[in-house]
Amino acid sequence: MSLTTRSPRDGAARDVSTTGRRGTRPTTPGRRHLLAAGVAAYLVTFLIVLPILWIALLSLQPSDTILSDPFSVKSLTFGNYRDAIASLPLLQMYKNTIIVAAISVTAGALVSFMASFALTRMVFRRRAAQSSLRFYLLAGLAVPVYVLLFPIYRLDLALGIFGTYAALILPYIAVSIPFNTLLLTGFLREFPTELEEAAIMDGAGLFRVCWSVVLPAMRPVLATVFIFNVVYVFNEFPFVSILINNPDLATVSLAVSRFQGQYTVNYGGMMAAATLVLLPQLVIYAVFQRHVIAGLTAGAVKG
Amino acid sequence: MIWISSRWKIALMLAPALILFTAFFVYPVGYAIAYSFTNSAGFGAARFVGFDNYVSLKGDPFFWQSVRNTLVILAVSLIILLPASFGLALLLRRIKGAGALRALVFGPAIIAPILVGLIWVFILDPRVGLVNRLLEPLGVGPIQWIGGNTLTPYAVSLVFIWSSIGFAMTIFYAGLQLLPSDIMEAVQLDGATAWQRVRHVTIPMMRETFAIVAILLITNVFKIFELVYMLTGGGPVHRSETLVSYMYFVTFTNQRYGSGMAIAVVIFVLGGVTSLAYLALARRRNIA
Repeated sequence: MSLTTRSPRDGAARDVSTTGRRGTRPTTPGRRHLLAAGVAAYLVTFLIVLPILWIALLSLQPSDTILSDPFSVKSLTFGNYRDAIASLPLLQMYKNTIIVAAISVTAGALVSFMASFALTRMVFRRRAAQSSLRFYLLAGLAVPVYVLLFPIYRLDLALGIFGTYAALILPYIAVSIPFNTLLLTGFLREFPTELEEAAIMDGAGLFRVCWSVVLPAMRPVLATVFIFNVVYVFNEFPFVSILINNPDLATVSLAVSRFQGQYTVNYGGMMAAATLVLLPQLVIYAVFQRHVIAGLTAGAVKG
Repeated sequence: MIWISSRWKIALMLAPALILFTAFFVYPVGYAIAYSFTNSAGFGAARFVGFDNYVSLKGDPFFWQSVRNTLVILAVSLIILLPASFGLALLLRRIKGAGALRALVFGPAIIAPILVGLIWVFILDPRVGLVNRLLEPLGVGPIQWIGGNTLTPYAVSLVFIWSSIGFAMTIFYAGLQLLPSDIMEAVQLDGATAWQRVRHVTIPMMRETFAIVAILLITNVFKIFELVYMLTGGGPVHRSETLVSYMYFVTFTNQRYGSGMAIAVVIFVLGGVTSLAYLALARRRNIA
Protein backbone atom coordinates (compact mmCIF):
# COMPACT_ATOMS: atom_id res chain seq x y z
CA MET A 1 0.00 0.00 0.00
CA SER A 2 3.01 2.27 0.14
CA LEU A 3 3.03 2.96 -3.57
CA THR A 4 2.55 6.53 -4.47
CA THR A 5 0.78 7.35 -7.65
CA ARG A 6 2.83 10.40 -8.43
CA SER A 7 5.51 10.29 -11.06
CA PRO A 8 8.79 11.99 -10.13
CA ARG A 9 8.39 15.07 -12.29
CA ASP A 10 4.74 15.63 -11.58
CA GLY A 11 4.46 17.87 -8.57
CA ALA A 12 1.00 19.42 -8.46
CA ALA A 13 -0.53 18.11 -5.26
CA ARG A 14 -3.91 19.66 -5.81
CA ASP A 15 -5.01 17.92 -8.95
CA VAL A 16 -8.55 16.74 -8.24
CA SER A 17 -9.41 15.75 -11.77
CA THR A 18 -10.46 12.15 -12.13
CA THR A 19 -8.67 11.56 -15.38
CA GLY A 20 -5.29 12.43 -13.94
CA ARG A 21 -4.29 15.09 -16.42
CA ARG A 22 -0.54 15.34 -16.37
CA GLY A 23 1.35 18.33 -17.55
CA THR A 24 4.62 16.56 -18.14
CA ARG A 25 5.22 13.12 -19.52
CA PRO A 26 6.11 10.70 -16.73
CA THR A 27 9.44 8.95 -16.92
CA THR A 28 9.54 5.20 -17.29
CA PRO A 29 9.86 4.22 -13.61
CA GLY A 30 7.06 6.71 -12.84
CA ARG A 31 4.93 5.06 -15.44
CA ARG A 32 5.55 1.64 -13.97
CA HIS A 33 4.58 2.97 -10.54
CA LEU A 34 1.44 4.43 -11.98
CA LEU A 35 0.53 1.17 -13.65
CA ALA A 36 1.09 -0.82 -10.45
CA ALA A 37 -0.95 1.70 -8.50
CA GLY A 38 -3.72 1.49 -11.06
CA VAL A 39 -3.86 -2.28 -10.91
CA ALA A 40 -3.86 -2.24 -7.10
CA ALA A 41 -6.57 0.42 -6.97
CA TYR A 42 -8.89 -1.42 -9.33
CA LEU A 43 -8.28 -4.69 -7.50
CA VAL A 44 -9.10 -3.24 -4.07
CA THR A 45 -12.17 -1.50 -5.43
CA PHE A 46 -13.33 -4.74 -7.00
CA LEU A 47 -12.94 -6.53 -3.66
CA ILE A 48 -15.01 -3.84 -1.97
CA VAL A 49 -17.78 -4.09 -4.55
CA LEU A 50 -17.68 -7.90 -4.57
CA PRO A 51 -20.20 -8.49 -1.74
CA ILE A 52 -22.82 -6.46 -3.63
CA LEU A 53 -22.18 -8.41 -6.82
CA TRP A 54 -22.50 -11.66 -4.87
CA ILE A 55 -25.89 -10.60 -3.50
CA ALA A 56 -27.02 -9.64 -6.99
CA LEU A 57 -25.90 -13.03 -8.35
CA LEU A 58 -27.68 -14.94 -5.58
CA SER A 59 -30.85 -12.92 -6.14
CA LEU A 60 -31.01 -14.27 -9.69
CA GLN A 61 -30.32 -17.86 -8.63
CA PRO A 62 -33.07 -20.44 -8.08
CA SER A 63 -33.09 -21.44 -4.41
CA ASP A 64 -31.85 -25.00 -4.96
CA THR A 65 -28.92 -23.80 -7.07
CA ILE A 66 -27.82 -21.46 -4.25
CA LEU A 67 -27.03 -24.49 -2.13
CA SER A 68 -25.70 -26.80 -4.82
CA ASP A 69 -23.85 -24.56 -7.28
CA PRO A 70 -24.11 -20.84 -6.47
CA PHE A 71 -21.56 -19.78 -9.09
CA SER A 72 -23.51 -21.27 -11.97
CA VAL A 73 -24.93 -18.77 -14.45
CA LYS A 74 -26.92 -21.34 -16.43
CA SER A 75 -30.32 -21.12 -14.76
CA LEU A 76 -30.52 -17.43 -13.77
CA THR A 77 -34.10 -16.27 -13.25
CA PHE A 78 -36.13 -13.28 -12.15
CA GLY A 79 -38.48 -15.58 -10.26
CA ASN A 80 -37.09 -14.46 -6.89
CA TYR A 81 -37.98 -10.88 -7.72
CA ARG A 82 -41.54 -11.91 -8.54
CA ASP A 83 -41.76 -13.64 -5.14
CA ALA A 84 -40.19 -10.72 -3.31
CA ILE A 85 -42.40 -8.10 -4.91
CA ALA A 86 -45.47 -10.22 -4.17
CA SER A 87 -44.56 -10.84 -0.53
CA LEU A 88 -42.99 -7.49 0.35
CA PRO A 89 -45.00 -4.32 1.03
CA LEU A 90 -42.29 -2.28 -0.70
CA LEU A 91 -44.46 0.78 -1.29
CA GLN A 92 -45.68 0.74 2.29
CA MET A 93 -42.11 0.47 3.64
CA TYR A 94 -40.93 3.36 1.54
CA LYS A 95 -44.00 5.44 2.31
CA ASN A 96 -43.41 5.00 6.06
CA THR A 97 -39.73 5.80 5.78
CA ILE A 98 -40.29 8.82 3.57
CA ILE A 99 -43.00 10.27 5.84
CA VAL A 100 -40.82 9.89 8.92
CA ALA A 101 -37.72 11.20 7.15
CA ALA A 102 -39.47 14.16 5.49
CA ILE A 103 -41.10 15.41 8.69
CA SER A 104 -38.24 14.78 11.08
CA VAL A 105 -35.50 16.12 8.80
CA THR A 106 -37.44 19.25 7.81
CA ALA A 107 -38.56 19.99 11.35
CA GLY A 108 -35.08 19.22 12.69
CA ALA A 109 -33.46 21.58 10.19
CA LEU A 110 -36.04 24.29 10.90
CA VAL A 111 -35.80 24.29 14.69
CA SER A 112 -32.02 24.01 14.52
CA PHE A 113 -31.88 26.94 12.12
CA MET A 114 -34.07 29.09 14.37
CA ALA A 115 -31.93 28.28 17.39
CA SER A 116 -28.69 28.79 15.47
CA PHE A 117 -29.86 32.17 14.21
CA ALA A 118 -30.73 33.25 17.74
CA LEU A 119 -27.42 31.94 19.06
CA THR A 120 -25.27 33.74 16.50
CA ARG A 121 -27.22 36.81 15.39
CA MET A 122 -29.56 38.04 18.06
CA VAL A 123 -28.36 40.21 20.91
CA PHE A 124 -28.80 38.70 24.36
CA ARG A 125 -28.86 40.82 27.51
CA ARG A 126 -26.25 38.47 28.88
CA ARG A 127 -23.73 37.15 26.39
CA ALA A 128 -22.77 34.29 28.69
CA ALA A 129 -26.30 32.91 28.37
CA GLN A 130 -25.91 32.82 24.62
CA SER A 131 -22.69 30.81 24.57
CA SER A 132 -23.78 28.43 27.29
CA LEU A 133 -27.02 27.67 25.45
CA ARG A 134 -25.00 26.88 22.34
CA PHE A 135 -22.76 24.62 24.37
CA TYR A 136 -25.84 22.95 25.87
CA LEU A 137 -27.11 21.96 22.42
CA LEU A 138 -23.67 20.92 21.17
CA ALA A 139 -23.06 18.70 24.21
CA GLY A 140 -25.44 16.19 22.62
CA LEU A 141 -22.66 15.39 20.12
CA ALA A 142 -20.82 13.51 22.85
CA VAL A 143 -23.71 11.18 23.75
CA PRO A 144 -24.13 7.81 22.00
CA VAL A 145 -27.83 7.56 21.09
CA TYR A 146 -28.06 4.01 22.50
CA VAL A 147 -28.26 5.57 25.95
CA LEU A 148 -31.57 7.15 24.92
CA LEU A 149 -33.32 3.99 23.67
CA PHE A 150 -34.99 2.78 26.82
CA PRO A 151 -35.82 6.21 28.30
CA ILE A 152 -37.44 7.29 25.03
CA TYR A 153 -39.39 4.04 24.89
CA ARG A 154 -40.80 4.87 28.33
CA LEU A 155 -41.35 8.51 27.37
CA ASP A 156 -43.28 7.54 24.22
CA LEU A 157 -45.42 5.20 26.30
CA ALA A 158 -46.10 7.93 28.84
CA LEU A 159 -47.01 10.44 26.11
CA GLY A 160 -49.30 7.88 24.47
CA ILE A 161 -47.48 8.09 21.14
CA PHE A 162 -45.74 4.70 21.31
CA GLY A 163 -46.07 2.79 18.02
CA THR A 164 -46.96 5.86 15.93
CA TYR A 165 -44.94 7.93 13.46
CA ALA A 166 -44.58 10.58 16.16
CA ALA A 167 -42.82 8.04 18.40
CA LEU A 168 -39.96 8.09 15.89
CA ILE A 169 -40.18 11.62 14.56
CA LEU A 170 -39.72 13.38 17.90
CA PRO A 171 -36.53 11.56 18.94
CA TYR A 172 -35.13 11.83 15.39
CA ILE A 173 -35.57 15.61 15.56
CA ALA A 174 -33.95 15.77 19.00
CA VAL A 175 -31.04 13.58 17.93
CA SER A 176 -30.40 15.77 14.86
CA ILE A 177 -30.28 19.07 16.77
CA PRO A 178 -26.66 18.93 18.08
CA PHE A 179 -25.05 18.20 14.72
CA ASN A 180 -27.32 20.62 12.85
CA THR A 181 -26.50 23.33 15.37
CA LEU A 182 -22.78 22.65 14.97
CA LEU A 183 -22.93 23.07 11.20
CA LEU A 184 -25.40 25.98 11.13
CA THR A 185 -23.82 28.11 13.85
CA GLY A 186 -20.44 27.36 12.30
CA PHE A 187 -21.69 28.73 8.99
CA LEU A 188 -23.44 31.77 10.44
CA ARG A 189 -20.42 32.79 12.49
CA GLU A 190 -18.34 33.17 9.34
CA PHE A 191 -21.09 34.69 7.27
CA PRO A 192 -21.09 38.54 7.06
CA THR A 193 -24.08 40.40 8.53
CA GLU A 194 -24.20 43.30 6.04
CA LEU A 195 -27.04 41.92 3.97
CA GLU A 196 -29.20 41.34 7.01
CA GLU A 197 -28.49 44.79 8.38
CA ALA A 198 -29.35 46.33 5.03
CA ALA A 199 -32.62 44.41 4.98
CA ILE A 200 -33.46 45.63 8.47
CA MET A 201 -32.71 49.24 7.41
CA ASP A 202 -35.21 48.67 4.60
CA GLY A 203 -37.77 47.79 7.22
CA ALA A 204 -37.66 43.99 7.18
CA GLY A 205 -38.72 42.20 10.35
CA LEU A 206 -37.27 39.08 11.92
CA PHE A 207 -39.24 36.70 9.69
CA ARG A 208 -38.35 38.50 6.46
CA VAL A 209 -34.68 38.65 7.41
CA CYS A 210 -34.57 34.90 8.10
CA TRP A 211 -36.74 33.78 5.21
CA SER A 212 -35.64 36.06 2.38
CA VAL A 213 -32.07 36.95 3.29
CA VAL A 214 -30.39 34.35 5.50
CA LEU A 215 -32.01 31.09 4.41
CA PRO A 216 -31.30 31.52 0.68
CA ALA A 217 -27.65 32.21 1.47
CA MET A 218 -27.47 29.06 3.58
CA ARG A 219 -28.53 26.68 0.85
CA PRO A 220 -25.24 24.73 0.66
CA VAL A 221 -24.97 24.08 4.39
CA LEU A 222 -28.69 23.27 4.58
CA ALA A 223 -28.19 20.73 1.80
CA THR A 224 -25.47 19.11 3.89
CA VAL A 225 -27.79 19.04 6.91
CA PHE A 226 -30.57 17.46 4.85
CA ILE A 227 -28.39 14.78 3.28
CA PHE A 228 -26.76 13.84 6.55
CA ASN A 229 -30.08 13.46 8.35
CA VAL A 230 -31.97 11.75 5.53
CA VAL A 231 -29.26 9.09 5.34
CA TYR A 232 -29.39 8.73 9.12
CA VAL A 233 -33.17 8.30 9.27
CA PHE A 234 -33.27 5.92 6.31
CA ASN A 235 -30.63 3.69 7.86
CA GLU A 236 -31.66 4.01 11.50
CA PHE A 237 -32.56 0.74 13.20
CA PRO A 238 -32.23 0.74 17.03
CA PHE A 239 -35.00 3.31 17.66
CA VAL A 240 -37.40 1.91 15.10
CA SER A 241 -36.88 -1.65 16.36
CA ILE A 242 -38.16 -0.60 19.77
CA LEU A 243 -40.65 2.17 19.11
CA ILE A 244 -42.63 0.65 16.23
CA ASN A 245 -44.45 -2.62 16.84
CA ASN A 246 -47.06 -2.36 14.09
CA PRO A 247 -45.76 -4.06 10.90
CA ASP A 248 -47.81 -1.63 8.80
CA LEU A 249 -45.67 1.22 10.07
CA ALA A 250 -42.34 -0.57 9.56
CA THR A 251 -39.61 1.46 7.90
CA VAL A 252 -37.21 -0.03 5.38
CA SER A 253 -34.59 -0.88 8.02
CA LEU A 254 -37.12 -2.61 10.25
CA ALA A 255 -38.48 -4.63 7.34
CA VAL A 256 -34.95 -5.72 6.36
CA SER A 257 -34.26 -6.90 9.90
CA ARG A 258 -37.16 -9.33 9.52
CA PHE A 259 -36.08 -10.83 6.20
CA GLN A 260 -34.26 -13.74 7.85
CA GLY A 261 -37.40 -14.76 9.72
CA GLN A 262 -39.70 -14.00 6.82
CA TYR A 263 -37.84 -15.89 4.12
CA THR A 264 -36.13 -18.47 6.37
CA VAL A 265 -34.42 -20.75 3.83
CA ASN A 266 -35.74 -18.99 0.73
CA TYR A 267 -32.31 -17.43 0.19
CA GLY A 268 -33.05 -16.36 -3.36
CA GLY A 269 -36.17 -14.50 -2.26
CA MET A 270 -34.27 -12.87 0.62
CA MET A 271 -31.50 -11.70 -1.69
CA ALA A 272 -33.99 -10.38 -4.22
CA ALA A 273 -35.71 -8.44 -1.43
CA ALA A 274 -32.32 -7.11 -0.26
CA THR A 275 -31.47 -6.05 -3.81
CA LEU A 276 -34.82 -4.30 -4.18
CA VAL A 277 -34.01 -2.26 -1.07
CA LEU A 278 -30.40 -1.68 -2.05
CA LEU A 279 -31.00 -0.65 -5.64
CA PRO A 280 -32.91 2.63 -5.13
CA GLN A 281 -30.34 3.66 -2.50
CA LEU A 282 -27.44 3.01 -4.83
CA VAL A 283 -29.14 4.80 -7.73
CA ILE A 284 -29.79 7.88 -5.61
CA TYR A 285 -26.23 7.70 -4.35
CA ALA A 286 -24.89 7.45 -7.90
CA VAL A 287 -26.79 10.59 -8.91
CA PHE A 288 -25.94 12.73 -5.88
CA GLN A 289 -22.60 11.08 -5.13
CA ARG A 290 -20.59 14.26 -4.61
CA HIS A 291 -23.16 15.83 -2.30
CA VAL A 292 -23.68 12.63 -0.33
CA ILE A 293 -19.97 12.15 0.29
CA ALA A 294 -19.58 15.81 1.26
CA GLY A 295 -22.63 15.61 3.52
CA LEU A 296 -21.58 12.48 5.36
CA THR A 297 -18.04 13.64 5.97
CA ALA A 298 -19.02 17.18 6.95
CA GLY A 299 -17.74 17.96 10.40
CA ALA A 300 -14.71 15.76 9.85
CA VAL A 301 -13.69 17.57 6.70
CA LYS A 302 -14.01 21.29 6.54
CA GLY A 303 -16.08 22.60 3.67
CA MET B 1 -28.84 43.21 15.06
CA ILE B 2 -30.34 44.64 18.20
CA TRP B 3 -33.46 45.75 16.28
CA ILE B 4 -34.80 42.26 15.90
CA SER B 5 -33.70 41.04 19.32
CA SER B 6 -36.60 41.66 21.63
CA ARG B 7 -36.79 39.22 24.49
CA TRP B 8 -39.81 37.32 23.29
CA LYS B 9 -38.41 37.01 19.78
CA ILE B 10 -35.27 35.38 21.13
CA ALA B 11 -37.41 33.05 23.23
CA LEU B 12 -39.58 32.19 20.24
CA MET B 13 -36.59 31.30 18.09
CA LEU B 14 -34.91 29.18 20.76
CA ALA B 15 -37.91 27.47 22.31
CA PRO B 16 -38.66 24.70 19.79
CA ALA B 17 -35.11 23.37 19.69
CA LEU B 18 -34.57 23.76 23.43
CA ILE B 19 -37.83 22.04 24.35
CA LEU B 20 -37.40 19.11 21.95
CA PHE B 21 -33.74 18.67 22.84
CA THR B 22 -34.41 18.81 26.55
CA ALA B 23 -37.42 16.47 26.46
CA PHE B 24 -36.05 13.86 24.05
CA PHE B 25 -32.34 14.06 24.73
CA VAL B 26 -31.27 15.57 28.04
CA TYR B 27 -34.13 14.21 30.11
CA PRO B 28 -33.61 10.66 28.73
CA VAL B 29 -29.93 10.79 29.67
CA GLY B 30 -30.87 11.76 33.22
CA TYR B 31 -33.55 9.07 33.24
CA ALA B 32 -31.03 6.42 32.16
CA ILE B 33 -28.58 7.45 34.88
CA ALA B 34 -31.32 7.47 37.52
CA TYR B 35 -32.61 4.05 36.45
CA SER B 36 -29.13 2.56 36.65
CA PHE B 37 -29.44 2.95 40.43
CA THR B 38 -32.72 1.01 40.67
CA ASN B 39 -33.71 -2.63 40.41
CA SER B 40 -36.39 -1.75 37.84
CA ALA B 41 -37.49 -4.72 35.73
CA GLY B 42 -40.44 -5.76 33.58
CA PHE B 43 -42.59 -6.24 36.69
CA GLY B 44 -42.95 -4.83 40.21
CA ALA B 45 -42.10 -1.39 41.50
CA ALA B 46 -38.60 0.00 41.06
CA ARG B 47 -36.53 0.41 44.21
CA PHE B 48 -33.34 2.42 44.76
CA VAL B 49 -30.43 0.00 45.08
CA GLY B 50 -27.39 2.30 44.98
CA PHE B 51 -24.44 0.90 43.06
CA ASP B 52 -25.72 -2.70 43.12
CA ASN B 53 -26.17 -2.87 39.35
CA TYR B 54 -22.63 -1.70 38.76
CA VAL B 55 -21.27 -4.16 41.31
CA SER B 56 -23.07 -7.07 39.69
CA LEU B 57 -21.81 -5.96 36.27
CA LYS B 58 -18.34 -6.50 37.68
CA GLY B 59 -19.19 -10.15 38.26
CA ASP B 60 -21.09 -10.64 34.99
CA PRO B 61 -18.96 -12.77 32.61
CA PHE B 62 -21.14 -11.83 29.62
CA PHE B 63 -20.54 -8.15 30.30
CA TRP B 64 -16.78 -8.68 30.29
CA GLN B 65 -17.07 -10.82 27.18
CA SER B 66 -18.87 -7.94 25.47
CA VAL B 67 -16.17 -5.49 26.63
CA ARG B 68 -13.48 -7.85 25.34
CA ASN B 69 -15.23 -8.26 21.98
CA THR B 70 -15.66 -4.51 21.62
CA LEU B 71 -11.95 -4.03 22.33
CA VAL B 72 -10.96 -6.78 19.86
CA ILE B 73 -13.09 -5.15 17.18
CA LEU B 74 -11.57 -1.79 18.06
CA ALA B 75 -7.99 -3.04 17.88
CA VAL B 76 -8.40 -5.07 14.68
CA SER B 77 -10.31 -2.29 12.95
CA LEU B 78 -7.81 0.43 13.84
CA ILE B 79 -4.75 -1.64 12.98
CA ILE B 80 -6.12 -2.54 9.56
CA LEU B 81 -8.31 0.45 8.71
CA LEU B 82 -5.90 3.31 9.39
CA PRO B 83 -3.10 2.14 7.07
CA ALA B 84 -5.50 0.61 4.54
CA SER B 85 -7.68 3.68 4.13
CA PHE B 86 -4.65 5.99 4.06
CA GLY B 87 -2.99 3.80 1.45
CA LEU B 88 -6.18 3.76 -0.56
CA ALA B 89 -6.38 7.56 -0.43
CA LEU B 90 -2.83 7.70 -1.84
CA LEU B 91 -3.71 5.16 -4.53
CA LEU B 92 -6.95 6.75 -5.63
CA ARG B 93 -5.49 10.05 -6.74
CA ARG B 94 -4.10 10.21 -10.21
CA ILE B 95 -4.91 7.01 -11.95
CA LYS B 96 -7.56 6.81 -14.66
CA GLY B 97 -11.05 6.79 -13.21
CA ALA B 98 -9.93 7.64 -9.66
CA GLY B 99 -13.08 9.69 -9.03
CA ALA B 100 -15.35 6.80 -9.94
CA LEU B 101 -13.29 4.38 -7.85
CA ARG B 102 -13.49 6.71 -4.84
CA ALA B 103 -17.26 6.82 -5.22
CA LEU B 104 -17.44 3.02 -5.38
CA VAL B 105 -15.22 2.62 -2.32
CA PHE B 106 -17.38 5.08 -0.38
CA GLY B 107 -20.54 3.20 -1.44
CA PRO B 108 -20.82 0.80 1.53
CA ALA B 109 -20.96 3.78 3.91
CA ILE B 110 -24.43 4.74 2.70
CA ILE B 111 -25.93 1.24 3.02
CA ALA B 112 -28.06 0.76 6.13
CA PRO B 113 -26.03 -1.16 8.75
CA ILE B 114 -28.89 -3.62 9.06
CA LEU B 115 -28.63 -4.38 5.34
CA VAL B 116 -24.84 -4.56 5.57
CA GLY B 117 -25.34 -7.23 8.22
CA LEU B 118 -27.72 -9.19 6.01
CA ILE B 119 -25.38 -8.97 3.00
CA TRP B 120 -22.47 -10.28 5.05
CA VAL B 121 -24.45 -13.20 6.40
CA PHE B 122 -24.26 -14.46 2.83
CA ILE B 123 -20.52 -13.88 2.68
CA LEU B 124 -19.57 -15.34 6.05
CA ASP B 125 -22.22 -17.95 6.80
CA PRO B 126 -20.41 -21.30 7.24
CA ARG B 127 -22.88 -23.13 4.97
CA VAL B 128 -24.02 -20.76 2.23
CA GLY B 129 -21.43 -17.96 2.55
CA LEU B 130 -19.19 -16.89 -0.29
CA VAL B 131 -15.93 -17.25 1.65
CA ASN B 132 -16.37 -20.91 2.52
CA ARG B 133 -17.67 -21.57 -0.99
CA LEU B 134 -14.42 -20.21 -2.39
CA LEU B 135 -12.31 -22.11 0.16
CA GLU B 136 -14.09 -25.41 -0.40
CA PRO B 137 -12.26 -26.38 -3.65
CA LEU B 138 -8.96 -25.67 -1.87
CA GLY B 139 -9.84 -28.25 0.76
CA VAL B 140 -10.14 -25.67 3.55
CA GLY B 141 -12.99 -25.47 5.98
CA PRO B 142 -15.81 -25.18 6.51
CA ILE B 143 -14.69 -22.41 8.88
CA GLN B 144 -17.13 -20.99 11.45
CA TRP B 145 -16.61 -17.32 10.59
CA ILE B 146 -19.77 -16.38 12.43
CA GLY B 147 -21.72 -18.25 15.05
CA GLY B 148 -18.65 -20.09 16.32
CA ASN B 149 -16.91 -19.50 19.62
CA THR B 150 -13.88 -17.47 18.61
CA LEU B 151 -13.96 -15.88 15.18
CA THR B 152 -17.09 -13.73 15.34
CA PRO B 153 -15.48 -10.53 16.72
CA TYR B 154 -12.91 -10.71 13.92
CA ALA B 155 -15.65 -11.26 11.37
CA VAL B 156 -17.53 -8.25 12.75
CA SER B 157 -14.31 -6.22 12.46
CA LEU B 158 -14.01 -7.25 8.84
CA VAL B 159 -17.56 -6.11 8.08
CA PHE B 160 -16.99 -2.87 9.98
CA ILE B 161 -13.81 -2.29 7.96
CA TRP B 162 -15.76 -2.89 4.75
CA SER B 163 -18.40 -0.35 5.64
CA SER B 164 -15.98 2.30 6.99
CA ILE B 165 -12.99 2.17 4.66
CA GLY B 166 -14.49 4.57 2.12
CA PHE B 167 -15.43 7.04 4.81
CA ALA B 168 -11.93 7.00 6.31
CA MET B 169 -10.35 7.13 2.87
CA THR B 170 -12.38 10.23 1.99
CA ILE B 171 -11.16 12.10 5.06
CA PHE B 172 -7.56 11.16 4.28
CA TYR B 173 -8.08 12.15 0.65
CA ALA B 174 -9.38 15.56 1.67
CA GLY B 175 -6.37 15.94 3.97
CA LEU B 176 -3.99 15.05 1.14
CA GLN B 177 -5.57 17.71 -1.07
CA LEU B 178 -4.71 20.33 1.54
CA LEU B 179 -0.99 19.54 1.67
CA PRO B 180 1.04 22.47 0.32
CA SER B 181 2.30 21.46 -3.11
CA ASP B 182 5.51 23.50 -2.96
CA ILE B 183 6.88 21.34 -0.17
CA MET B 184 6.17 18.17 -2.13
CA GLU B 185 7.87 19.67 -5.16
CA ALA B 186 10.91 20.65 -3.13
CA VAL B 187 11.23 17.15 -1.72
CA GLN B 188 10.91 15.70 -5.18
CA LEU B 189 13.68 17.90 -6.50
CA ASP B 190 15.85 16.64 -3.66
CA GLY B 191 15.46 13.19 -5.19
CA ALA B 192 13.40 11.52 -2.49
CA THR B 193 11.77 8.26 -3.52
CA ALA B 194 8.03 7.79 -3.42
CA TRP B 195 8.23 5.79 -0.19
CA GLN B 196 10.54 8.35 1.44
CA ARG B 197 8.15 11.15 0.56
CA VAL B 198 5.19 9.36 2.07
CA ARG B 199 7.09 8.19 5.13
CA HIS B 200 8.97 11.38 6.01
CA VAL B 201 6.82 14.17 4.59
CA THR B 202 3.22 13.17 3.98
CA ILE B 203 2.57 11.13 7.12
CA PRO B 204 4.15 13.62 9.56
CA MET B 205 2.16 16.45 7.97
CA MET B 206 -1.05 14.46 8.22
CA ARG B 207 -0.69 13.61 11.91
CA GLU B 208 -3.85 15.43 12.92
CA THR B 209 -5.87 13.84 10.15
CA PHE B 210 -4.74 10.46 11.43
CA ALA B 211 -5.86 11.39 14.92
CA ILE B 212 -9.25 12.58 13.69
CA VAL B 213 -9.87 9.46 11.63
CA ALA B 214 -8.78 7.28 14.56
CA ILE B 215 -11.13 8.96 17.01
CA LEU B 216 -14.04 8.90 14.57
CA LEU B 217 -13.46 5.18 14.06
CA ILE B 218 -13.30 4.58 17.80
CA THR B 219 -16.63 6.37 18.29
CA ASN B 220 -18.13 4.32 15.48
CA VAL B 221 -16.86 1.03 16.90
CA PHE B 222 -18.69 1.81 20.14
CA LYS B 223 -21.86 2.12 18.05
CA ILE B 224 -21.63 -1.26 16.32
CA PHE B 225 -24.96 -2.94 16.90
CA GLU B 226 -26.82 -3.94 13.74
CA LEU B 227 -23.90 -6.00 12.43
CA VAL B 228 -23.90 -8.22 15.50
CA TYR B 229 -27.69 -8.28 15.56
CA MET B 230 -27.83 -9.62 12.01
CA LEU B 231 -24.71 -11.80 11.92
CA THR B 232 -25.08 -13.75 15.16
CA GLY B 233 -27.69 -12.11 17.36
CA GLY B 234 -24.91 -11.99 19.97
CA GLY B 235 -24.68 -15.76 20.26
CA PRO B 236 -23.84 -18.46 20.85
CA VAL B 237 -24.52 -17.74 24.54
CA HIS B 238 -23.48 -14.08 24.30
CA ARG B 239 -20.02 -14.97 23.03
CA SER B 240 -20.14 -12.46 20.19
CA GLU B 241 -21.93 -9.66 22.02
CA THR B 242 -20.63 -6.07 21.88
CA LEU B 243 -21.29 -3.54 24.66
CA VAL B 244 -24.24 -2.01 22.82
CA SER B 245 -25.81 -5.29 21.73
CA TYR B 246 -25.51 -6.67 25.25
CA MET B 247 -27.12 -3.54 26.68
CA TYR B 248 -29.96 -3.98 24.17
CA PHE B 249 -30.36 -7.62 25.18
CA VAL B 250 -30.36 -7.00 28.93
CA THR B 251 -32.77 -4.07 28.61
CA PHE B 252 -35.27 -5.17 26.00
CA THR B 253 -35.06 -8.97 25.82
CA ASN B 254 -34.38 -9.68 29.49
CA GLN B 255 -36.24 -6.58 30.69
CA ARG B 256 -33.71 -5.99 33.45
CA TYR B 257 -33.98 -2.25 33.02
CA GLY B 258 -31.77 -1.30 35.96
CA SER B 259 -28.84 -3.45 34.83
CA GLY B 260 -29.37 -2.42 31.24
CA MET B 261 -29.13 1.25 32.17
CA ALA B 262 -25.94 0.59 34.14
CA ILE B 263 -24.39 -0.73 30.90
CA ALA B 264 -25.86 2.27 29.07
CA VAL B 265 -24.09 4.57 31.52
CA VAL B 266 -20.80 2.76 30.82
CA ILE B 267 -21.41 3.35 27.10
CA PHE B 268 -22.30 6.97 27.83
CA VAL B 269 -19.03 7.56 29.66
CA LEU B 270 -16.90 5.82 27.01
CA GLY B 271 -18.69 7.64 24.19
CA GLY B 272 -18.41 10.94 26.00
CA VAL B 273 -14.68 10.62 26.55
CA THR B 274 -13.89 9.76 22.93
CA SER B 275 -16.21 12.45 21.57
CA LEU B 276 -14.66 15.11 23.78
CA ALA B 277 -11.22 14.08 22.54
CA TYR B 278 -12.55 14.47 19.01
CA LEU B 279 -14.06 17.88 19.68
CA ALA B 280 -10.84 19.10 21.25
CA LEU B 281 -8.89 17.99 18.17
CA ALA B 282 -11.43 19.37 15.72
CA ARG B 283 -11.42 22.68 17.52
CA ARG B 284 -7.66 22.86 17.26
CA ARG B 285 -8.00 22.32 13.55
CA ASN B 286 -10.66 24.98 13.49
CA ILE B 287 -13.54 22.82 12.32
CA ALA B 288 -16.00 23.17 15.14
